[in-house]
Amino acid sequence: MTAAIQVNQVSFGYDPQRPVLNHIDISVRPGAFLAVAGPNGVGKSTLVQIMAGMLRPQSGVVLLEGRDLRTYGVAELARRIAVVRQEFVPAFGFSVFETVLMARTPYYGQWGFEGKEDRDRAAKALELTDTARFASRPLGSLSAGERQRVFIARALAQETPLLLLDEPTSFLDLKHQVAVYDLLKSIGQDTNATIVAVTHDINLASQYCDEALLLYPPRQSGDSPPASPFPPLYRIGPTAEVFAPPEIQRAFDVGVFSGAVGRERFIIPLGAMAKDANLSGRST
Amino acid sequence: MHPPLTPRTLLFRTSLAAALLMATMLACALIGPQDVSLKAALSGHPAGGTPSPDYEILVRVRIPRVLLAAMVGAALASAGVIFQALLRNPLADPYILGVSSGAGLGAMLAVIGGLSWTLWGRSPIAVFAFAGALTTVWLVWGIGRITGKYQVTGLLLAGVVVNAFFSAMIMFLVSIAKGQQLYATIFWLMGNMTEEDFFVLWVGGGCILAGIVALFFLGPQLNVISVGYQDARSIGVPVERIELAAFAISAFITAVAVSLSGLIGFVGLIVPHAVRLLFGPDHRQLLPLSALAGAMFLVVADTVARMVVAPAQLPVGVVTAMIGGPFFLFLLIRHSKKVYWPT
Repeated sequence: MTAAIQVNQVSFGYDPQRPVLNHIDISVRPGAFLAVAGPNGVGKSTLVQIMAGMLRPQSGVVLLEGRDLRTYGVAELARRIAVVRQEFVPAFGFSVFETVLMARTPYYGQWGFEGKEDRDRAAKALELTDTARFASRPLGSLSAGERQRVFIARALAQETPLLLLDEPTSFLDLKHQVAVYDLLKSIGQDTNATIVAVTHDINLASQYCDEALLLYPPRQSGDSPPASPFPPLYRIGPTAEVFAPPEIQRAFDVGVFSGAVGRERFIIPLGAMAKDANLSGRST
Repeated sequence: MHPPLTPRTLLFRTSLAAALLMATMLACALIGPQDVSLKAALSGHPAGGTPSPDYEILVRVRIPRVLLAAMVGAALASAGVIFQALLRNPLADPYILGVSSGAGLGAMLAVIGGLSWTLWGRSPIAVFAFAGALTTVWLVWGIGRITGKYQVTGLLLAGVVVNAFFSAMIMFLVSIAKGQQLYATIFWLMGNMTEEDFFVLWVGGGCILAGIVALFFLGPQLNVISVGYQDARSIGVPVERIELAAFAISAFITAVAVSLSGLIGFVGLIVPHAVRLLFGPDHRQLLPLSALAGAMFLVVADTVARMVVAPAQLPVGVVTAMIGGPFFLFLLIRHSKKVYWPT
C-alpha cells in the first residue's frame, strides 16, 4: 500500500553547520492519526513545514501518495494537504467567516466569487469547530483559543485527505482540547483522512493517536561520538511503545510517573521540587 | 461587522460610487474662477462657427484637468490598496518602495539638465520621472528578493533606505538649482495638476484603467495573501506569481500617475484606509471602491487647489494633506472600535 506521506532520508538545517533534522525516515499510512512530540527546538514544526512543502529539505525527498512532493503544483497540493500553523494574527480585519471561506479561494468562479457550495462547506467547518457563534466577528477580536479553532475550521474547509496540524490545542481549554481531538479522530474515521499533529500533550495524544513520532534532542558536543554515522534521533511506532515512560524520560530529560486507567495510560512529569518527587523514581 | 460580500452588493455599491464620481466631476468642471454655464457650453460649438468662450474653457481647460485628477486619484488609491496588502502593512502607500523618490530624482535631473525636447508631447520631466520611478521600484524589489524571499521586512527597509538616499540627492540638486528651475520642481515635488491634451489623457487613462481592472481579478488571491504568505500557499494561491503581477501593475500605474501630476501625497494612504474602515477589508470591494473614492477625492482637492488663491493655484498635494488628514482622523476615531489591528 502506498503511504499517504513518506519522508525519505530528509535532512534540514537553517544553519548548515547545525542540522535540525538528520536523515529522517518516516512513513504514514492512509487514515493514520500520527502524533509528533519532542522537546523545544528539536524540529517538529520544521518537519511539518517540510511535509507541507513549505520548506525544501537540503537532502532527501518527501513522497505524497507515492509521488515526489516537488512535482505538485501549488493548487494541486492545496487540494491534498491542509495546514494549521501555530498561532498568528493577520494584519487586516477579516471576519471569522471570511477567514474560513478563504480556504475555498482556488474553487472560486471566474469573477472571483464563491459558490453556494463553498459557503456551505465553510459554514459546516465553523459548526464542527464550535466557532459558528462568532462567524461575523473580526478574527482579531477573538481569544487565542477561539482563533486557533477558526484556523482548524479553515483547514477543514479545504477538505483534504491529509491534515497537518502544528500544536492545534496549545491555547485551548480542556473542553475544546478534547473536542478538537474528538473531531480529528471522527474526521479520520469518516473520511479516512490522514492526520499528523504536533503536540506537547502526550496524554491526550496517547488517548487518540494510533501512532507516534518522538524526536530526541541532539547529543551535546561533550557526549561520546556516535557509533554509526547517523544514529536515528527519533522513534516512530505504536503510541504505547513510543510514548512509554523511558522514551519520554530520554526525550525530555525529565522525571516521570506513569499509571493507567482502563485502557488509557498516562504520564505525569515530576520535577525535583515536586511535593512527592519520589513517585517518578528519579528523585535525588 | 460587515456582512460577507455578495456580487449584488458589490455591483450596487460600485455603480453608486461611479455615478457619484460622474456627478462630482461634472460639478467640479463647472466650478472655477471663471463662471461657466453648461447650457452655453453645450450650444456653444456651432458647425463651422467660432466656439463660445464657455465651450473653450470647459472642453480645453476644465474637463481635461478634472479627468486627469480622477485618473491620478484612482491610480494612487488602487496602488495604495495593493501595496498595503502585499506588504501586510497598514502603513504602506504607493510611494513606500521608492516610486516617489525615484520619480523625483528623475524629474530633478531633467530640470537641472535643462532638457527641452519632448517625447509624444510629454516634457522631459515626465519622461524622466516615469523612468526614474520604475527603475527605482525594480531596484528595491530586487534587493527585497535577495534579503528575504518570504519576509516583507527586508523589502520595506530597502524601500525606506532607497527613498531616504534619493531624497537626499533631490535635496542636493534642489540646493544647487537656479531660481526658475527651483520653482518648477518644488511645484512638481508637491504634486501639481496641469491641463493635459487629450492624447496624453487617453494613453495614461487607458493604462490606469486596464491596470485597475487587472488588479480587480486578483482580489480573492490578494485577500489570502494579505493574511499571510505561508497560509496563502497552503490554501493553494500561487503567491510568487500573484505578488509579482500585482506589484508590477501597481508600480506601473503609480509611475504613470506620478509622471502626469508629480508627487501627490496622502491619497494612496488614506483612501484605502477610509474605504476599509467603512466597508471592510475584502479586496474585491476595497479595490474598485478605493479607485472611485480616490478619483472623487482628488477631483475635489484639485478644485479646491484651483479656487482658494485664484487666479493663482496651490499645488494639489498641499490640499490633499490639509483636507485629507483631518477627515481621515475623524473616520479613524469614529470607527476604530470596529477594527482590530495587530497589537
